[in-house]
Amino acid sequence: MLSRVADSLYWMSRYMERCDGMLRMLKINYAASQDDMDEFSWVPALKLFSYMDDQEAAAISKNSRDVLLYMVIAKENSNSVLNIVTKARENGRSVQDHITKEMWQCLNDFYHMMREENISDWLKKDDPITILDSLLKQCTVYFGTMDVTMARGESHAFINLGKFLERGVQTADILDVKFSALDGEYDKAADTTYWKYLLLSISGLELYLKTYRGGFEAANIVEQSVLNGNFPRSIMYSVKNLRQYFERLRSDKNYTSFNEVMFMIGKLESKIKFSTTQTIVKEGLSKFLQETKTDFLEIGNALNKNYFAYS
Amino acid sequence: MHTSELLQQYYVDSNTWDEMYRNDSVREQYRSVVDFLQQLSIDELNKKEDLAKRLFMSQGITFTVYSSGEGVEKIFPFDIIPRIITAAEWDHIEKGIKQRLKALNLFLKDVYHNQFILKDGVMPVDMVYSCPHYLRVMHNFPVPHDIYVHISGIDLIRNSDGSFYILEDNLRTPSGVSYMLENREITKRIFPDLIPANHVRSVTEYPTILHKNLVSLSPRQIANPTVVLLTPGLYNSAYFEHTTLARLMGVELVEGRDLVVDNHKVFMKTTTGLQQVDVIYRRVDDEFLDPLIFNSNSLLGVSGIMNAYRKGNVAIVNAVGNGVADDKAVYSYVPAMIRYYLNEEPILKNVPTYQLANKEKREYVFSNITNMVVKKTNESGGYGMLMGNSTSEKEIEEYKAEILKAPRQFIAQPIISLSSSPCYMNGALAPRRVDLRPYALCGPDGIEIVPGGLTRVALREGSLVVNSSQGGGSKDTWVLAV
Repeated sequence: MLSRVADSLYWMSRYMERCDGMLRMLKINYAASQDDMDEFSWVPALKLFSYMDDQEAAAISKNSRDVLLYMVIAKENSNSVLNIVTKARENGRSVQDHITKEMWQCLNDFYHMMREENISDWLKKDDPITILDSLLKQCTVYFGTMDVTMARGESHAFINLGKFLERGVQTADILDVKFSALDGEYDKAADTTYWKYLLLSISGLELYLKTYRGGFEAANIVEQSVLNGNFPRSIMYSVKNLRQYFERLRSDKNYTSFNEVMFMIGKLESKIKFSTTQTIVKEGLSKFLQETKTDFLEIGNALNKNYFAYS
Repeated sequence: MHTSELLQQYYVDSNTWDEMYRNDSVREQYRSVVDFLQQLSIDELNKKEDLAKRLFMSQGITFTVYSSGEGVEKIFPFDIIPRIITAAEWDHIEKGIKQRLKALNLFLKDVYHNQFILKDGVMPVDMVYSCPHYLRVMHNFPVPHDIYVHISGIDLIRNSDGSFYILEDNLRTPSGVSYMLENREITKRIFPDLIPANHVRSVTEYPTILHKNLVSLSPRQIANPTVVLLTPGLYNSAYFEHTTLARLMGVELVEGRDLVVDNHKVFMKTTTGLQQVDVIYRRVDDEFLDPLIFNSNSLLGVSGIMNAYRKGNVAIVNAVGNGVADDKAVYSYVPAMIRYYLNEEPILKNVPTYQLANKEKREYVFSNITNMVVKKTNESGGYGMLMGNSTSEKEIEEYKAEILKAPRQFIAQPIISLSSSPCYMNGALAPRRVDLRPYALCGPDGIEIVPGGLTRVALREGSLVVNSSQGGGSKDTWVLAV
């Protein structure tokens, strides 16, 4: 496969995963803002998914409608859903012969939907959750279309590398922002809604309730979202998939490149596999998450150097 | 008889051949479609038109217009009423195009080798040497199988007497074939069952034949030669076509930056290192193909690719230097070529063409300019054209001055009244002018033409210009089996 094509597939996929994560986050945050507008702030979400500095974020952090407009359809926000979907589609457009026609149509439809006028009306006047849900549905259709139409070849592998790398970074990011807001005093958030919304934003509340009895505890949340290999948004799950899809790229022709990246993925996987909530908390959760994020990004750089470099 | 509402406003110009009507009655080949359309209400037809638009949009059959820093997706206008060609008409067209292509191929081989046609005085020498598309780099280079024109899109028009004329030979990188394929797919969606009921011949073979021909050109005799389609990239207006063809043939779509030449061989940069390329179907013009030989500013091409080509390590399709054969001034010598190389009479006629480099002809054209269309010999797409009947006197004078500066760069033709074909316009059928571009594929096994083509239509009332850049659209083109 052409290096340029691999690069575009990888980024198409990263953007779609980011889009999905972002929409989930926006939806849950909006719902949280309806619970308690005095306590609630958009600052953490804005810092996660936009390039705003503290001051700019604080300025609109009490106005949900403004935040949603900025995060969903603002052209000037390079990380708005509109711009992310546009980038995903542009990448997809340049590799149409490597994704299925169904996938291309799905990206194309999503792009045209983002440009419809009624989105801003919904965000300004009506119930934003309705429109966020229908956008999320587009993401779900994209993931489903990929699953049922794409052959399990090299294209599929690069798409999944992008997907799970982005997801791993995202979960580490969300946990870091949410936990560092508590300054290490995890019991401070006696208010259960704080934990509830954190879990909801990574679609993990239901699993949590089934797994753990007796309310919310920081240690359990860390266990589920970092270590539980069966929870699709956990860091462990992302790394495990990253390794599995990367193994498919093994080939006699690029032994050195493969080994270099495989070593990095394997090292990260082992690190998480042989951690417990106790060791993580003892070492410092924030440090652990920061390091994990750096590891993911370095894997991304290594992929870029060994597989995508074409100029 | 104008019985239904749909046909009430269908007025055919008496000097024009209409594809559907003859003496106020519907021609045989259109009868079943017209009957079918008359059963539909205006509402239903509008819905179908809408559906067609939505399908084009959602499938991304679009081109992007960049204005104020933002891309806007446009669809190439599509008229839902098919253009119908009878089996007999097609037979004539097919024979004529095959004959013409055979002669043009022989001409290209001759003009880049022994130049018998010039030595025998059939064609003036300066006609060839003054052509900017005549490339010395192609001299004495034996192209694989002696084929220069692998893919052509020859434009035909129909005069008021109903006979077909060749308007242009497009022998370089003709585009539009994806619309031939997609328009058919859209018709299948908006008019279920209509195509089989009318015994329309299929066009779906096109990518298969093209792929077969491309594979057969591989210089390496291996089981799976690497065939690529070279595109100028995402921002090219025909990008959709490039991706469609690559997908339908299952070949790699590459850009110039994906290729590299090493030791006179072409390679593509893949995730597992360099992979040798055997055949390149390029949609990049000659001028931009190799910055070492042609335009040195080109970022679309590949440095060193011409040397690899001349060494015989890679096949390039269409061959480089074909522009000398579809030059608008050389065009007028094609009938002579057919007689010279094949000893046959041309089956399809040329439109009479006046070389403005010739003083007498120029004066004749200037005194009859209102009945003439003047074209630049090296432009295409309807650019730089003068329609004598619809241009102000001042503009004509300016254009004449332009001609006198470089008369070789211009030709004139009498304005031919294109045939008209029914189009769906605001709830009724109306006649609009059309041309026809069938796509011919030439491989080691001979010339094959899929039965169909692109019908381009001038959607503005009374307009004779069908180019998409000048407000033209397209139609599905049916060739009937019986």
